[in-house]
Amino acid sequence: MSTIHEQIDELLAADLHGELSGAERDAFHAHLVECADCRHAFQEEKNMHKLLNETIADKKADAGFEQRMVSRFRDRVPQRPGLIQLVTNLVRLRAVQLTAAAALLLSMIQMGRVITGESALRLMSLDASRSVRESELAKSPSSVTRDSGVLAYKSDSPGRGADESAAKWTSVAGIVAQNPAPLPQDKPETETPLPVTVYSADVLTRQASTAPKTKKAETKDERSKTDAATSEPEPSESTSTTAGPTANRKLVRNATAELEVVSFEEAVQKITGFAADEKGYVSTSSSEKQANGKLRGQVVVKVLPDNLDRFLLKLRGLGELKNQALTTEDVTKQYFDTESRMKNARLMEQRLIEILKTKSKDVADLLEVEKELGRVREEIETMQGELKFMDSQVQFAAVTIQLSEKNMNIPAAFLLKERAQLALYATEVEKTYNDIKALASPKVQITNAQINRDNTGRVSSYVYMLIAPEESEAIISRVKAMARVENFQVQTERVAQGGDGLGESAKTERDKVVLNITISREEQEQSLQQTTLRIRSSEVNDKTKELRDLAEKQNGRIRSSSFSRDSNGREYANVSLRVPMKNYSALMQSLNTLGRVEDVTVRRDDRPDSQVNQADAPTDITIQVYSQGNIVSQETGIVATLRHTIGQGATALMWSARMIGVALAFLAPWVLALVGIGWVMRRISRARRARKQHAEEQDGLS
Amino acid sequence: MDSNEHATFRAAIQGDRDAFEMIIRSFSRNLFAIAYGILQNREEAEDVVQDTLVKAWKSRWRVRDPEKFPAWISTIARHRARDLARRRRPEPLPHDFESTETVAAKTETENADLDSEVHAALSQLPELHRMAVTLRYFEELDYATIERTLGLTNGALRGILGRALGLMRRRLKPALASIA
Repeated sequence: MSTIHEQIDELLAADLHGELSGAERDAFHAHLVECADCRHAFQEEKNMHKLLNETIADKKADAGFEQRMVSRFRDRVPQRPGLIQLVTNLVRLRAVQLTAAAALLLSMIQMGRVITGESALRLMSLDASRSVRESELAKSPSSVTRDSGVLAYKSDSPGRGADESAAKWTSVAGIVAQNPAPLPQDKPETETPLPVTVYSADVLTRQASTAPKTKKAETKDERSKTDAATSEPEPSESTSTTAGPTANRKLVRNATAELEVVSFEEAVQKITGFAADEKGYVSTSSSEKQANGKLRGQVVVKVLPDNLDRFLLKLRGLGELKNQALTTEDVTKQYFDTESRMKNARLMEQRLIEILKTKSKDVADLLEVEKELGRVREEIETMQGELKFMDSQVQFAAVTIQLSEKNMNIPAAFLLKERAQLALYATEVEKTYNDIKALASPKVQITNAQINRDNTGRVSSYVYMLIAPEESEAIISRVKAMARVENFQVQTERVAQGGDGLGESAKTERDKVVLNITISREEQEQSLQQTTLRIRSSEVNDKTKELRDLAEKQNGRIRSSSFSRDSNGREYANVSLRVPMKNYSALMQSLNTLGRVEDVTVRRDDRPDSQVNQADAPTDITIQVYSQGNIVSQETGIVATLRHTIGQGATALMWSARMIGVALAFLAPWVLALVGIGWVMRRISRARRARKQHAEEQDGLS
Repeated sequence: MDSNEHATFRAAIQGDRDAFEMIIRSFSRNLFAIAYGILQNREEAEDVVQDTLVKAWKSRWRVRDPEKFPAWISTIARHRARDLARRRRPEPLPHDFESTETVAAKTETENADLDSEVHAALSQLPELHRMAVTLRYFEELDYATIERTLGLTNGALRGILGRALGLMRRRLKPALASIA
C-alpha cells in the first residue's frame, strides 16, 4: 500500500493515460478508496488532464501539417536526375566502397607494374623483333651478335621445341612478308624472356625468307623442264620475300663463314655430318699446321640452296663465328642468253650438215663448210659446258668455311720474379747500413745504396740489391737479424714466356731476387703502447734518479725529462722513456718501489698489418714524480675529509644547477609556444563571443 | 515496430524518396511535438521539423540499423530545437523550479488566461518531461511508442510523465481549483 502512496504521481498519470495493467489498476483504485489525500490528488490530476487536453492539445500540428511538410521537403530537396541519384546512392553503399578501394589498389599495382619493367620488357622484346626483322633484310653484321641468343636458346631447349615454334611462326611470317608494316598482334601467350623472343623473331624472318624460296625452287624445276622462253627480263631483286616472280630464276647462292673452333678435325667431322643431313657434300677440304701447332684450314661444302640457311644456322653451333657472308647472284639472263645462243648454234649446225649432205660439189666449199661446222660445234660444246657449270652452281650452294683452331698457346716456360721489401729499425743506422753493404759478393749485387742525414740529425738510408735466387733466403734472414724488422713484403710474379695460357708441363725458373731495404732510426718508430702514470713521493729528485736506474736496468732509454717546483713547494719531475715490450711489465712492477703509483692510463695502438715483433716493439712510458705541497702533507684526517666533502657538495650543487639550466633550456620553448597558443585561442574565442553578443543586441533592437 | 515499417525505414535509408515521404507523413507530427515541447512556439517548431527532415534525408546513410531510425530522427529534431532555443535565449532558463507562491501570485494577476498559465507551468519542466508531455497530449501516443521515439528504456516513461504531471498539478493548483 505504502508503495502506491509513494508512487502516486506515476500511477495517477498512468491510470489517466490508460497504461496501467489490470492488477495495478485494481490495487490503485483500492488505495484511492482508503486514502483521502490520494483521492484528492486523483481529482486534481483528472482536472489537470482535462486542462491539458483542452489547452496543449490545441497547439498540436494542424491537419495540413504533413502535406505541408512533404511539399516543403520536395521544394528544399529537389529530386536529382536518376543517374546522379543512383551514383550517389551507390557510393554510399559499403560494398561499393570496398569494391572501389580494391579497384584502386589493383590499379595502383598495375601502374606500378607499368612503371617498373614488366610490360617494359614486353615492349623491348617487341622493339627487338622489329629491329631484327628490318636488319635481317639487309643482312647487317649485327646478326652475328643476335645469333649468340639463338645459340643460348638452342642449348637450353630441345631442338624439337624450337622446330615446332618455328613452324608455328611460319604462318605469321607469311602475313608479315606480304604486309610488312603492321606488327603481328598475336604475340606468344606465355611470357618469354627477352632472348627467346628475339630468337622466335629471328626464326620468323628466317622462315619468311626461306619459305617462299622453297616454293620457288620447286616451281623452277618444273618450268626448266618445259621451255623457259616465256621468261622476261626482270630487274635484279633483293632477298626480299616476294613470292612468285622468282619462280624460274637461276640464282647462285654462296656463303662464306669464318669460325674459330677448338678442334679442327672434330669440326670437319661435324660439318660433314651437317652436309649429309642437308643433302649436300663436302667438296674440298684443306688444312695447314701453323707454327704454334694449331690447325687452320678451309672446307667447301655444297648443299641444296633450300637448305643453305638451315645449314648456316647449324654451323654456328660449331664454334665462335667470326665472320659470315651470304651472296646471291642472279644468272638468269646469262643462262637464258647462252641457252638461246646455243639453240641458234644448233640450228646453224643442222643447216651446215644439210649443206654438206646436199650441196657437196665444190671441195673448197666443202672444206669451208666443214671448218664452219667444227667452229659451231666447238661453240656449242663451250656453251653446253657453261650451262652445265651454271646448272651445277645453281643446283648447289657452295659454303666456304674457314676454320681456325683457337689460339690457346701453352707457354714454354715461366719465370718466377721475386721482389722483396724490407723496412728496418736500427739503433745505429750507419752501422747497420755498413753491415748490409758488407754482404756484397758476386751473388749479391748492390745496385743502389744511400744514407741521408737531415739537419735535425735524423738518419735514414736505403740499400737496393739483386740476389741470386739460391742465395736469397739466406741473405734475407741475415739482414733481418741485423735490426728490428718493421715490415717485410715479398711479391712473386710468374711471367709466362712464349704464350699466354696455362701450361701444366712448362717448367718454372727463378729469376734474381730484388731486395729493397730501408733503414730508419729506432726513435722514429711509433711506440706500440703509451703509458702515463704519476708517482707521489716526498723526495722527487731522489726518486727520479732511482727511476732512471730502474729504466736502465730494464733496457730502457730516457727520451726526455724535466723538473719543476712551484710556489707551494710542490715539485714535479717528468720523465719519458722507452722500453721494449718484453721488459714493460717488469719495469712497471719495479716502479711500485718508488712510491704510490697513481692515475695510470695505458693506450695501445695495435697495428695488425705490420710485421713488427711484438716483444721487441717499443713502448713509451711517461712518468710524473711529484710531491704534495707543504701545507697539508697527507690528505687524510678530519679537516681534509671535511674539505673534501664540502668541495664535493659544492661541485654537486653546481652540477645540479647546471642540469636545471639545461632542462629549462629544453622546456622553455615549448612552454612559450603553449602559452602563445593559449593566448591566441583565448583572443579568438573572446572576439567571437563579442561579435555574437553584438549581433544579438542588433536583433534585440530590431 | 512491424516489419512493414522496418522495410520502409530501410528503403528510405537506401535512398527511396517515396519511402522517406511516407516516413514524413507518419512521423512529422511526433517531431513537431518534440520541437514544440522544447520551444513552445508553433512556427519555430515547424521550421525545426522542416530542417530536421532535410538534414535526416541528407545524412540518412549514417543510420546502419533501421530499427533506430525513429530515435535517430527524434534526436536530430531535439538538437535542432535546442539550438534554436539557445539562440533565442542565450541564458539558460534561469530558474527551473519556481516556488508555488510566485506562480500563485502570477495566477492571481493573470487569472483569466488559463492557457498561458498551463504553458508557463509546462515551460518550467525539464526538457525531457516537456517532450514527453507534448508527445502524449498532442498525438495520444502510447507509452511504448513514446519511449521508442525518445530513445528511452522500457518503463522509464511512466516515471517521467508521472513526475511531469505531478509538478504541473502542484503548480497549477489554484487554477485547477477554479476549474473544479
